[in-house]
Amino acid sequence: MFFLSEIEHTLRLPPHLLGLTKEKALRQELENLFLDKVIANLGLCVSVYDVCSVSSGFIFPGDGAPTYTVECRLVMFRPFVGEIIDAQLKEYNKDGLRLSMGFFDDIYVPFHLLPYPSRFEPDPEDGNHFRWVWEYGAANGQDGNAAAPYPINDIGETIRLRVHGISYPPIPLEQTKDAKPFAPMVITGSLDNDGLGPISWW
Amino acid sequence: MKMKNANAGGLTNVEILNSFQSRGASMEVAVTIAPSEYKVFEYFIGTAAAHQTTESIYVLMDRLKNHDLAKAELLSIINHRPTLPVWVYSSCDERLGEGGARELVSVIKGAPKAVRRAGQKGAERHAPGRALGRT
Repeated sequence: MFFLSEIEHTLRLPPHLLGLTKEKALRQELENLFLDKVIANLGLCVSVYDVCSVSSGFIFPGDGAPTYTVECRLVMFRPFVGEIIDAQLKEYNKDGLRLSMGFFDDIYVPFHLLPYPSRFEPDPEDGNHFRWVWEYGAANGQDGNAAAPYPINDIGETIRLRVHGISYPPIPLEQTKDAKPFAPMVITGSLDNDGLGPISWW
Repeated sequence: MKMKNANAGGLTNVEILNSFQSRGASMEVAVTIAPSEYKVFEYFIGTAAAHQTTESIYVLMDRLKNHDLAKAELLSIINHRPTLPVWVYSSCDERLGEGGARELVSVIKGAPKAVRRAGQKGAERHAPGRALGRT
C-alpha cells in the first residue's frame, strides 16, 4: 500500500524560514511542496520519510534566499492491482459504491464489480431509499426467494475490497460549475470474491 | 524534481506509524504532524497496526518463512492480520487451498500480538525495509 520513493529536488528556501535549523526548514518546505499531492504514476504523497542528503546551498545573484539540492524519501500511497484494502462506505448510488479511507476518498466500486448477483432495490423499511443487495445463493441456481439477501447500506461500515485498477485522469482544461471536484487519482475496486465486501458479512 | 528511485521498497503500516509517533503524534496530540498525515495516522489506529511493534512483526515473519509466500502476500498478511481462512484466500490466492489457509491462520493467531502502550514512542527508527529483508 505504501512505498518509498527517492527523489532529488532543487528548492529555494524562503528567507523567513532561515531562523529554523536547516533540517527543519527544508523539511517544512518539502512538506509544503509534496504533502497530500498526487504525482502521476507514483501515487499520493503521504509523508516525507527522511532527508538523505543536502547539498551545500548556493545563492543566486540578487536573490535573498539560498537554493539547496535535496535528496529525500517520500512515503507514497500506491496500492498495487490485486491488493486488498479496507475502506469505509461513504455513499452509494445506482452506479455503484464510493468508499473512503479517511485520507483518500476516491475509491469507487462500479456496479459490475459488485458480488454477483447484486441488485439496487428499494429498502423494505423505507420505500424512498434504495440500497444494494447481494443475493447470496442466487448465483448457484437456487430459487430467488430462497436466496439470503446481504445488503450494503450502512454508511461508514468497513468494506474489504480488492484493487482492480488505478487511474490518473489528466487535469481537465475546463470544468462546468457544478461538476464533481477533479480527482487526480482514482482507485477502482472489486468486491467479487471470497472474503470481500463488508467485514460484517464474514 | 528528479526521480532517483520510484520504488525504494514497500513499507508496512507499522513502520509508518512508528515514524509518525517518533515525531510526537498520538491520539491526543495532532499538531506535530501535518493534518493530512494525521488522517493517515487515524486510519492506522483503526487497523491491526495499532497493536503491532517491529519486534512482533519480525516474530511473525520468522514463523511464516517456511510457507513460501510472495513479498506482496507477506505484506498483506502483516498489515491485515487475517484471522479467518476466507481472508487468507483474498490476501493470498487460492493456491494455498483450504488446509494451507487454516495453517496460516493458526500461525498468525499464535504469533504474539504486541500491545503498544498509549504514550509509547515507536521503536528506534530502523532503516526502512529492514522488516522485509531489503538492504
